[in-house]
Amino acid sequence: MSDFGRLVRAEWTKFRTVRGWVLGTVAAALVTVLLGLFVASNSISSCSNGTVDIECPALPLGPDGQPVRDKFFFVHRTLAGDGAITVRVTSMQGVITYPPPDHDKIVPGLVEWSKAGVIAKVGTAEGSRYVALMVTAEHGVRMQHDFVHDTAGRPGAVSAGTPRWLRLTRAGDRVTGEESADGAAWTEVGTATLAGPVELGLFVTSPSDLTVNNGAGGGSVQARLATATATFDNVTATGTPPGDDWRRDDVGAELNPDGTLHHPGGVEQAGGVLTVSGNGDIAPLAGESGPGVQLVLIGLVVGLIVVIVVAAVNGSGELRRGLIGVTLLASPRRGRVVAAKAVVLGAVAFVTGTAAAALVIPLAWAVLTDNGFRQPGLPLPTLVRVAVGTGLLVAGTALLALGLGLLLRRGLAAVGLAVAVVVLPYLMAVIGGLPPAAAEWLLRLTPAAAFAIQQVVPEYAHVLAGYTPASGYYPLPAWAGLAVLAGYAALALGLATARLRRSDV
Amino acid sequence: MEPTIEVTGLRKRYGRTVALDGMSCTVRPGHVTGFVGPNGAGKSTTMRVVLGLAAPDAGTALVGGVPYRTLRRPLTHVGALLDAGALQPSRSARNHLLWLARSQGFAARRVDEVLEQTGLGGAGRRRAGGFSLGMRQRLGIAAALLGDPPVLMLDEPFNGLDPEGIVWMRGLLGTLAAQGRAVLVSSHLMSELQHIAAHVVIIGRGRVLADTTVSELLAAAPSLEEAYFALTRDAVDFRGEAAR
Amino acid sequence: MSRVLYAEWTKLRTEPAALWLVPCFVVVTVLMSLFAVASASCGQGGCGIDPAVLSLAGVQLGQALVVLPAVLTIGGEHSTGLLRTTLTATPRRIVVLAAKAVLTGGLALVAGTAAVLGCVAVGRAVLPGNGIAALSLTDGPMLRATAGSVLYLVLIGLLALGVAAVIRDAAASAGAVLALLYAVPLIAAVINDPELQRTLRRFAPMTAGLAVQATTDLQRQPIGPWAGLAVLAAWSAAALLCGGLAFRLRDP
Repeated sequence: MSDFGRLVRAEWTKFRTVRGWVLGTVAAALVTVLLGLFVASNSISSCSNGTVDIECPALPLGPDGQPVRDKFFFVHRTLAGDGAITVRVTSMQGVITYPPPDHDKIVPGLVEWSKAGVIAKVGTAEGSRYVALMVTAEHGVRMQHDFVHDTAGRPGAVSAGTPRWLRLTRAGDRVTGEESADGAAWTEVGTATLAGPVELGLFVTSPSDLTVNNGAGGGSVQARLATATATFDNVTATGTPPGDDWRRDDVGAELNPDGTLHHPGGVEQAGGVLTVSGNGDIAPLAGESGPGVQLVLIGLVVGLIVVIVVAAVNGSGELRRGLIGVTLLASPRRGRVVAAKAVVLGAVAFVTGTAAAALVIPLAWAVLTDNGFRQPGLPLPTLVRVAVGTGLLVAGTALLALGLGLLLRRGLAAVGLAVAVVVLPYLMAVIGGLPPAAAEWLLRLTPAAAFAIQQVVPEYAHVLAGYTPASGYYPLPAWAGLAVLAGYAALALGLATARLRRSDV
Repeated sequence: MEPTIEVTGLRKRYGRTVALDGMSCTVRPGHVTGFVGPNGAGKSTTMRVVLGLAAPDAGTALVGGVPYRTLRRPLTHVGALLDAGALQPSRSARNHLLWLARSQGFAARRVDEVLEQTGLGGAGRRRAGGFSLGMRQRLGIAAALLGDPPVLMLDEPFNGLDPEGIVWMRGLLGTLAAQGRAVLVSSHLMSELQHIAAHVVIIGRGRVLADTTVSELLAAAPSLEEAYFALTRDAVDFRGEAAR
Repeated sequence: MSRVLYAEWTKLRTEPAALWLVPCFVVVTVLMSLFAVASASCGQGGCGIDPAVLSLAGVQLGQALVVLPAVLTIGGEHSTGLLRTTLTATPRRIVVLAAKAVLTGGLALVAGTAAVLGCVAVGRAVLPGNGIAALSLTDGPMLRATAGSVLYLVLIGLLALGVAAVIRDAAASAGAVLALLYAVPLIAAVINDPELQRTLRRFAPMTAGLAVQATTDLQRQPIGPWAGLAVLAAWSAAALLCGGLAFRLRDP
């Protein structure tokens, strides 16, 4: 065995022969799992049909299995093979309805991501595949397909003076979107594939008008019903069966208890001019999308405190008791001693975190499903990613605490500092009632940035939602968050090594 | 490679306090060398410098001709007892020796051998934090013997030992020296050293006052203690009024 | 008692680590509040911000720095064996613990007053610029929130001292106290059973104690301001009682 291998083995023997440290590590995993299950079993989903409690309806799922919102007004014909639809959009307007009782008023206005355009969709069921080309209120022409894909076209809003021509053409499986300002010069926006018979037609929809208050309480999100209305003319469809009528569907509309449609859209036709209005969205579900990984991993916070205590005391105890003298007699090269300690503690913490996450996420999710939640479980690759990420988060935290313990030589100071920089920022950002802007800065600058591994649903630029830490959205991507934590841990271990090298023991 | 400890011109100061002031001496194999001097004379500092735990401001310290920090499996070259209290209290004695053995690539069997050798065979599974000072000394000796080293450095090995333990230690040191090892023993117990040491290094204020055989000292003074007081008269920092 | 108190004070003021934590605590608390109020903003029509809670947000972080010196007064003496010397000088152990409690509480009172007043000043200076009206100390509810926050910090210090007397190891005690303080509100925040949520918030030391900071929407708080502080006081008293028993009965 190599010198370093022997050293790692010695440090592992040291770790496993102190009962408190082994029990602490097991306790950290156990508390993470048990708190997750406790929280899951006390989270109940209830839905009501006006006055009567009913089982919550299943969420519509997109082609990749993620929950989606798929509600719009649809004027369509069936297209079996090749074909195209061309329209001209000449106006787009909207109204925003403030809910009773405080702001019961209706004001004109368009939400920035309200959409009007042409769409080819596999049937009218929510969550089915589609390709759409649209104008938006503030983001110009966009081509979107299958909920998560978004390509930008010509910017600018639509009006009678600046109309937009939109054309979707299918040849084989290939759907091409083109736009034009005058109906003569066309520009390609993008392409996508869509096979089989599709419904081809016009659509209008508008997401709710959101206000994210940057206030205490983690910020609050207010949503108001918004309806968009667009005017289409020069509508031509090719490839559809001759004599096929334009059919109308309020895709995804909910029913009121009396059987009427809740917030219906509509269409009016005058000659060749169609005025279509709708509300909803065609987008992945984001923001307040129900309990997620953050909920079932909540016990990790307590588990991390336990791991911090074990790791910090592991580092400081060696120096406080003069045990480091014995260690350095056995292996005089000091940098290697720190490295061997880091390898052992990091590995133990990584296994602990990974195992705890891999156990609690599926278990707690099963409990949540029993309690009426309709979120689909994490796909295996995502579960593996989150479990490994959790392991890295726990390992990075342990290394930071070890480094602080070796550097400060006082277990208490190291525990206090590690908890203050890893756990507290997360708590304050997620539940501490900090304004979202402050919370995001905490999750960028402190080691708590690594909690970003808990975010499994990405933030979509083309979907309006309250993307706040309190609802599970982190300002940094997972790898960057882990890198921030790793940087702090490396700094602490580096300073500890430098101090150990320079000092007499 | 001859098992020796060679210290040449060691200087070290802690702030304004001079700990070592040109310390030079050589410890040879085959006998016990006593290392004596008043409190604060620099005995422990010298040992720590030799073992690479403290860095000297000047001078060199070699074990078997090389600096300690360059040894690949140091416990097979040097065994040392410095601070018997340097333990994780909740770890058992056997496990304390086990991790040391792992760091050198020794089998666990070696741990049981040294536990038996130091009379801790029955106490190996107990937590070291509950040990008396005498038992901790035995555990420290066990750690020093783990690698069967040709050089031994023991700081105050008689501390806290019961009468039986003192007799055992006396015998052990004699045996180790007779096996051809270099054995350096620091102690304040002159009468004890007079019996077991053949050579003695007396230091004061960080430098060597005498580096000679015990028989030579006894030729000039009635006892080792008398010789010590005569040599260290001017080199003592702390002395109560009643003492001499 | 006064001699013991004087001895404890001498120990404390000659221990630089504990004293360093006091200015650290004040600075961290005020900075955290500054961070919170500076980043708050409100859309038109108000957003239900409680200016007192926002201004005093630093207490949530700063309390950790009250916990540390509190557990150190006992844990530190245990790890070095100094406690044996202390108890040789003062064999009446309850008197020793009482002196430590008086000292911890007194220190938290002084440092807490400085920190909380700093938070209030920061709130008054910054909040109006963000379109949120700050309250003055002459308003009854704001005075209650301010004085209550200081008392909150004192009670947290005593709670930590009691826990440390039971667990003895400083680092483990700090971990236990911090987990107790922060874990319950975290769990309460994520479960959606409103009944259990309210119960947890009503009986957890941090959420109950911090209810004293509320100045608006009092009926929406899980517990009344003073009642919440009383819940925390009960926690602290129970911890000190257990700590006192453990301190008396066990060998140092």
